[in-house]
Amino acid sequence: MLENLYLDGKVVVITGGGTGLGLEMVRALTRSGANLAIAGRRPGPIEAARDEVIAAGQDAIAVPTDVSKSSDADALIAATMSHFGRVDVLINNAAMVADNVLKPIWEITDDDWDSAMSVNLSGAFYCARAAAKPMADAGKGKIINVASGFGLRGGRDIYMYCTSKGGVIQLTRVLSFSLARYGITANSIVPGFIPTIDPGAEINRTLPQSGDFLPTGKLGKPEDLGPIAVFLASDASDYMTGEMFILDGAGLAAGITPTGHAPVAALEP
Amino acid sequence: MAISSQARLPSEFSLSGQTAIVASSGGDESPFLAAALAEAGASVFAVARHAAAADAITAAVTAVSGRDTGRHVGRWDTPDGASSAVHAFSALHPRVDILVNDTRSFFAKPAAEIDLAEWDELHARNVRATFMLSQVVGQRMLEQQYGRIVNVISNLAERAVINCSAYSATQAAVLSLTRSLAVEWGRSEIRVNAVGSGWSTAEDIPLETQREELLVRYTPMRRKGHPRDLAAMLVYLCSPHCDYPSGQPVYIDGGLNAHP
Repeated sequence: MLENLYLDGKVVVITGGGTGLGLEMVRALTRSGANLAIAGRRPGPIEAARDEVIAAGQDAIAVPTDVSKSSDADALIAATMSHFGRVDVLINNAAMVADNVLKPIWEITDDDWDSAMSVNLSGAFYCARAAAKPMADAGKGKIINVASGFGLRGGRDIYMYCTSKGGVIQLTRVLSFSLARYGITANSIVPGFIPTIDPGAEINRTLPQSGDFLPTGKLGKPEDLGPIAVFLASDASDYMTGEMFILDGAGLAAGITPTGHAPVAALEP
Repeated sequence: MAISSQARLPSEFSLSGQTAIVASSGGDESPFLAAALAEAGASVFAVARHAAAADAITAAVTAVSGRDTGRHVGRWDTPDGASSAVHAFSALHPRVDILVNDTRSFFAKPAAEIDLAEWDELHARNVRATFMLSQVVGQRMLEQQYGRIVNVISNLAERAVINCSAYSATQAAVLSLTRSLAVEWGRSEIRVNAVGSGWSTAEDIPLETQREELLVRYTPMRRKGHPRDLAAMLVYLCSPHCDYPSGQPVYIDGGLNAHP
């Protein structure tokens, strides 16, 4: 029953694949037998990731891509089709944390809003649109969107990230319902706090430094995404679509009190 | 995630050396779920109300692993019943790493006509049994500071269907228990999650035959689920590598939850 977890040369396109969570997913997918088209804005990290995949014995290409430009998204899928002849899986992972300098709403510019929405939400749409046709022609495909716990709850002054990630979860549902008839599934991975960004980044002043506030007591690690990326890319997930896989130290299951709040009350007679 | 000794299984899905209790209300999905755990390398002990259900699980596990790793037959929706089940388990196995509660007795009747005995019996089987066994097994997991609990539920925990009020209430209750136990036991390295199914069958029915049913044509994936659709996710949620996910359901239901 478990043999279909192995990826056997499936072609996976992943955006934001040169760093952070994306790079750890690339590594897990490679170990499970995938071939990869690795996209990212900067050539350096994605070329290094490509070389790592090839050194591990799988095939890979690096495609410099700004997902906020639909022509780049189209070119990414075209480059993948040209090199591999197919696209089995798309992982929309690219995102910008544009709210990295937290500002009151009246100081957020049109450009602040537009640039974050265009990468995090429009970028996922552009890539899904470009990949969906070759997947439909093949009668099978998988779209995996990396959202965030902030797509389900509010964060103080985190307007663009929360809104765009909530949009990604909804995009996933619409893709799943619309594309099921073509054999294409769509699911979201919803990570909680997983420190990956530059430790010197300003947003780190506002994000938790430890997992003390989480029910499980610890933050996530980028490699926590590996097994779920492999599962969702594999035939083992064929009947799962339109869903979220949440990994967040039970943060979303709790959250209505400060961590550790533990009332005791006897049953009234 | 190197490929482990089990043929072509990514190592993060390996349950090698782990011991599991699978508690089943007798549904025909349980033997497949137990077999998936065995295929990943776990020793699986069956708990069921009737010998026939325990036999089906044991047969499925033995077919995969070549070993009969034990069973207990009897109700476990009371403290004594749950303790007896865990006592029988402990006679064969030194520790419990995994508890799978597949306690879904189905029941459908107009809400205006459900009598108290039916309501109470359904809640005893589906909810109280899940809590009792989780409590007894959870005490051991708290002592050993490790455990994985997975509750198998229906997507009726989220959505309503005519005549399914009592059953849906039990599924929502088990989902709520999933959240609560995950939050309460999270600091003790215990993870509690749920895997949810939709309209499913354990039989292999040809697609053309399935699609004569309106319910199947209504499902976005246009087929019924099969317990093997839950297998890999169940195994992952039971594995030591499933560390960050907790307190959440994962529905594998052919897209029904996204259906408008």
